[in-house]
Amino acid sequence: MKYFLKSLVKTIPVLLLITLIVFLLVRVTGDPVSLMLPETATEAERDSLREAMGFNDPLPIQYLNYLRDLVTGDFGDSFRYNTDALNLILERLPATLELAIASMIVAIIISVPLGILSAVKRNSFLDLFITGGAVLGKAMPSFWLGIMLILLLSVTFQFFPVSGRGTLGHLVLPAITLGTGIAAEMTRLIRSSMLEILGQDFIRTARSKGLGEAIIVNKHAFRNALIPVVTIMALQTSTLIGGTLITETVFAWPGLGQLLVQSVNLRDMAVVQAATFIIAIFVILSNLFADLVYRLLDPRIKYD
Amino acid sequence: MNNSLLKVENLKVRFKTEDGYVSTVNGVTFDVEKGETLAIVGESGSGKSVTSLALMGILPANGEVYEGDIHFEDKDLRNLSKKQYRELRGQEIAMIFQEPMTALNPVFTIGYQLRETLILHYKMSKEQAQKKGIEMLETVGIPDAEKVMGRFPHQLSGGMRQRVMIAMALSCNPKLLIADEPTTALDVTIQAQILTLLRNLKEKSNTSIMIITHDLGVVAELADRVIVMYAGEVVEEAPIYELFENPLHPYTKGLMASIPKIHDVVDELYSIEGTVPNPADMPTGCKFFPRCPIGDIECTKIHPPLEYVSENHAKRCIKV
Repeated sequence: MKYFLKSLVKTIPVLLLITLIVFLLVRVTGDPVSLMLPETATEAERDSLREAMGFNDPLPIQYLNYLRDLVTGDFGDSFRYNTDALNLILERLPATLELAIASMIVAIIISVPLGILSAVKRNSFLDLFITGGAVLGKAMPSFWLGIMLILLLSVTFQFFPVSGRGTLGHLVLPAITLGTGIAAEMTRLIRSSMLEILGQDFIRTARSKGLGEAIIVNKHAFRNALIPVVTIMALQTSTLIGGTLITETVFAWPGLGQLLVQSVNLRDMAVVQAATFIIAIFVILSNLFADLVYRLLDPRIKYD
Repeated sequence: MNNSLLKVENLKVRFKTEDGYVSTVNGVTFDVEKGETLAIVGESGSGKSVTSLALMGILPANGEVYEGDIHFEDKDLRNLSKKQYRELRGQEIAMIFQEPMTALNPVFTIGYQLRETLILHYKMSKEQAQKKGIEMLETVGIPDAEKVMGRFPHQLSGGMRQRVMIAMALSCNPKLLIADEPTTALDVTIQAQILTLLRNLKEKSNTSIMIITHDLGVVAELADRVIVMYAGEVVEEAPIYELFENPLHPYTKGLMASIPKIHDVVDELYSIEGTVPNPADMPTGCKFFPRCPIGDIECTKIHPPLEYVSENHAKRCIKV
């Protein structure tokens, strides 16, 4: 417990650094004012808006002001939506989390049995088929898979809605689209991890005790093989929170990724800053969660 | 010998490799009597560990017994179903391994791993198995047994782990215990403790022990009878005293000479020249010939049979 409190304290400098980098990046990439005003605006009008927005202050002062507001939960207003940036993010967040969790579940359901099976039956036709499928799944662009799924399951057979968010049915196709790519990577990782573990001495011990193959594979081996897999799951979860723009676009899923990219294009500074901050928090949380799971899986790992 | 517990006849084991089959055990014959301790001696690559894995039916996936018979009591082990073999393993034949560091599963407690065998073979409840597990740990001389049940393998020393392995192997009261280099990975003082433990346990339980080792000191300590293996074959077989008094095969003599003696001052320790031949590229004739100090041209022509020179002393050499 003490370890986790310590880790939480350690995230403060990380978050500060992230705010600083993002703060600088949105300011050096262009003039936000030019996009906020019509093209016909005069230089005097632009100047007065800059003054009003505080863009004429020295950067350190701007940064400190920004931090001061941030502490109170105020990320500023979106230029585009004219509303509080944080609220905008928080509105989108449930959709993103929902999709991330569903995709991860799909990935686990696909990759765990396939990875184990292909390790146990290594070098068989089945193994070839699964590893081949994993390469395909990794290579397949998500927009293409998404569109194919829509064509097949929404247009031709009409099992699921084409796009948007609302019912559980809406979630299925985007979750499969994202989950497939992750499953491909996890399948290969589970396979190689299982292969390594199955060659260990303690597996031979388990056999010599007379245990059945199913218990040896699913309990003695899998529990050990999971440890590296958790790392990849944590990394993938981070990606799912921030970077699923393409899938969100294909399915018109109202998530964070879409909002973030639009805001970057429009130099909607407040939204970009708020979104990266929230995403950073989730990345940190998913890593902390992975740490916690390690500890549950492997008694040799001790934090203090 | 109607007193025999395990009878191995002409056992041959091969492994599938990229270049075809490679045979590492080439017609091994021996038996283990009830209550006896048999030692199988040989250097790395002589096929002694593979023989024991073959008996347990736990050869790696690319290995197979392709000839010969294994009889355990009245059972023909080569014709057992997978399920029957599983019931035998751990219950009637148990095994302990060389590396206590890696032979226990790192993510389960000692208690879990001990209980597992008992629940599996004796259908015990968790509480009964826990009780029996503690009892077994006490039998192998582990202090604070109840606490140790809740520990993980990495929290114990090598000697303790080997004791746990022994407790686990003996928990179902097996008729035969196969010990594959049980002391090799341990400190000398711990080695002595483990050997003493094995000897005491044997005296109490009448379990037969088949100990596999390259250490003649271990052999002298524990065994009633010895088989010397070289390149997948038995090259000499004799009762323990007979073997130490009167070794016949030049390989056995070489092994004996390799033990440093404290009273002799020598510049260089003796070792048998060369290495065990690659199983894929065995010499014709006597397999020991390339390293043999007394062999001549005759030895390259015939593959010597195992001949009994007395009732219980056999050698595979035409020169002695």
